[in-house]
Amino acid sequence: MIMEGRLTFGFLLTIVVTFAIAPLIAILGYTFLKDGQFDISQINRMLEAERVWRTLGNSMLLGVLVIVGTTIIAFPMALIRTKTSLYRYDWLDIILTIPFMTPPYIGSMGWILFMQHNGFLQQLFPSSAWLTKTFFSLFGMVMIMSLHLFPFLCLMLKNTLLRINGSFLDAALIFGRSPWRNWTKIVLPLVVSSYVLGSLLIFIKTLAEFGTPATFGSRIGFQVFTTEIHTYLSRWPVDISMATSLSLFLLSVCLVIWYIQNLIGRKHTYGVLSGKTPAMREVRDKWYIKLGSWMFVGVVLLLSIGIPYFSIVVTSLQKVRGNGLQAGNFSFASYQEMFTGGSAGLSAFLNSVMFSVITAVVTAIIGLCIALYIKKGETKKQQVLDFFSLMPTIVPGIVFVVGLIMFWNAPWLPATIYNTKTMVVVTYCILFLPYSVQYTKSSLSQIDSSIFQSAAIFGRSKWDVYRQIIIPLLMQGILAGMMMTFIISMRELVAGLLILPPSVETGATFIYSQFEQGNVGVGMAVAVITVVMTVIFMFLLGWLQKRGGHENA
Amino acid sequence: MKRRGLKLFATAGILLTLALAGCGNKEVEKTEKVSAQPKEEQILTVYSAGPDGLAANIQQAFEEKTGIKVEMFQGTTGKILSRLEAEKNNPVADVVVLASVASMDGLKETSQLQSYQDAKQAEKINSDWSDAEGYYYGYSASALGIAYNTKNTQEVPTDWSDLAKEQWQNKINIPDPSLSGSAVDFLYGYALAEKNAWKTMGLWKNNGLQVNGANKEALDAVITGDKNATIAGVDYMAYKAKADGEPVEIMYPKSGTVVSPRAVGILKDAKHIEAAKEYVDFLLSDEGQKLVTDAYLLPGNKEIPVKNRAALDEVPQLTVNWKGAEADQLEILTKFNDMFR
Repeated sequence: MIMEGRLTFGFLLTIVVTFAIAPLIAILGYTFLKDGQFDISQINRMLEAERVWRTLGNSMLLGVLVIVGTTIIAFPMALIRTKTSLYRYDWLDIILTIPFMTPPYIGSMGWILFMQHNGFLQQLFPSSAWLTKTFFSLFGMVMIMSLHLFPFLCLMLKNTLLRINGSFLDAALIFGRSPWRNWTKIVLPLVVSSYVLGSLLIFIKTLAEFGTPATFGSRIGFQVFTTEIHTYLSRWPVDISMATSLSLFLLSVCLVIWYIQNLIGRKHTYGVLSGKTPAMREVRDKWYIKLGSWMFVGVVLLLSIGIPYFSIVVTSLQKVRGNGLQAGNFSFASYQEMFTGGSAGLSAFLNSVMFSVITAVVTAIIGLCIALYIKKGETKKQQVLDFFSLMPTIVPGIVFVVGLIMFWNAPWLPATIYNTKTMVVVTYCILFLPYSVQYTKSSLSQIDSSIFQSAAIFGRSKWDVYRQIIIPLLMQGILAGMMMTFIISMRELVAGLLILPPSVETGATFIYSQFEQGNVGVGMAVAVITVVMTVIFMFLLGWLQKRGGHENA
Repeated sequence: MKRRGLKLFATAGILLTLALAGCGNKEVEKTEKVSAQPKEEQILTVYSAGPDGLAANIQQAFEEKTGIKVEMFQGTTGKILSRLEAEKNNPVADVVVLASVASMDGLKETSQLQSYQDAKQAEKINSDWSDAEGYYYGYSASALGIAYNTKNTQEVPTDWSDLAKEQWQNKINIPDPSLSGSAVDFLYGYALAEKNAWKTMGLWKNNGLQVNGANKEALDAVITGDKNATIAGVDYMAYKAKADGEPVEIMYPKSGTVVSPRAVGILKDAKHIEAAKEYVDFLLSDEGQKLVTDAYLLPGNKEIPVKNRAALDEVPQLTVNWKGAEADQLEILTKFNDMFR
């Protein structure tokens, strides 16, 4: 086969190492090396700073609270989507991923505009003023982040519950005593392992999150790792070595958590995929269960989509922001300004589209090669490549970005891509390569090996087998991965803030900078357009996966 | 077996590095070619902390007039300074425009700027705001005041200390000085010229003063009614918002305020020196100064009339010396951060 052999391995590994591992080594070097000598004074300086420990405390606390928050939302939601009559509404799945796809900083800006003193809530219901103070606290931050991350946990739990629904419950019904006992002895233990995995991932994602802490956290004076790193890098006075030390610290924390997660994953994973397909019985709910379920779904949708989007759309349409929600205070002026030829907002948006398309294509190609090589990850080499290509999911984005800046600014490099658009694309590719690898891998795992064998027997050339059989079969997975990469790239903020060359802005940095120095209305108009495009892509993605018949991809 | 793998790996690594180096070299060649070409093909890189609209208008007018293409990085003063620091190994910027003369002076002291003494019309520019040796020119300035929401404010404040009163509790904010050059300038000038400055700041803190991001973010909180007043609000933003119909007004406290100059200078590592000089000339020219006043800023050249805003001599000023201020500013910033974060 083509994607085999040592040469391929060497080549793929080199790509991954040069682009994904070298930045991390650069961070190590910058932190520990001083004039070519090993030196730990940087680390000591960091560990002595009281702020660092406070930041660590804040990050950890936030992580734990967000796990609690996402659980409160995701668990009932997963049950509702599998055990009640609401299981039938597949469109709910797509709607429920919208909060996850919404750029977090836009979501929290929406919430801020809604909840602040004299915000939209108080304009609509003046008596609700007391809520403002409660909201602008850690509670509000946890709520915003939980509403953003819950779809992720919900999907994991839902899939596990669906699988258990099959033969396990049948067996339990036949041999078991009471439904209650079946639940505690069979369903719960099986769910727990996937819950623990999911919540640890939520924890890592919370630690790595930048958008919400940067917008909402700075408002309530709650500093976490990512915002601290960004502060040291982008605010005067700059302290680059502090930023790299902190990055290293954050990286270590994430690696430890990832290791724990792996241990648990290995010990407590049960084969829940059995021969029997999870046949769905017709579910008939009592009226109050039905009502309760719909109310729960309604409240979650209102909080996770309704409120932030209301603020965003209203702000983009307001003529005079100081006049609030008043008849006659609305116009399309911001949109007009945006679509006037060559406006900064439009070109920023188009830059985002361009970067995202290139990233999607490049990662799709590299991801395909890597996935074809890894196959099922049976040999050591395959596992090594698998591990490295999935590194960026464990390493927080900002750590990679810091590493890339260090690496591409190294004085010994003969040439650098720093301060060019190439740098942006390279950064995006590294950050989002795991998506395409995972999507392609999972659609590869669905191709039966007999296809390879029969193709080999009928004696076509290896190239033809790839071109005419394998690639077309994988196409759906590749396309889904590309679309996902595109959506995620469109919203990337922290990389843009730190590495964009002069005269180049992306949609995300444009929106962010409109809040800092410019016109919020136009910023929000760009946000609305970005989100509308994202939602269209998500429906396409859902349709694509349905056609491919693998919704779990 | 293992060794062979390693060898292949190494070869691949070298090949890739070479390929990358190749790409990079091409890039370098390109830029060299560009600078050898006639002026209309030149590219000038400007890092500018300016009001968005102004920076863009200047860029456009300059490009039209000279045919030099401008690559612009816009950010707050803090962002630009940190970007310069991060890029020390491979500098890109030719011209830097900062919203703080003290920071500009700091760049001069660490010899990151070069002198351009014979800039056209330099003699007309306010000498308090510029360097005597021509390292930077204060081409414009903004006066810092109290920007307040006209709908929610019953009693207009007359002085800084008024904001420590109870009716302003939890209703005041200040731009974050580590992001906003003008806010640092304010703290510096206020702390130096006013005996009770730190005491007043303490009172503000007890009165719920919020540190609110960059300048526009702080002003937006006042515009939307989240807060009622911004301390050290930049006046040109308030005038602009007012012109757009927002319920905002700015006042200058009677005991005096800080006028924060914005300066332009040419970086020592600038690759396009001639173009950079033309850019400085343009900012100091009558045409450039008019663009400045159109953005509601105070012009560096006093002869240019301002419109719809208070002129320089109508603003009660604290006496501030900007030369060598950077170290003191850093100290004040640290003290402020310890107090508020």
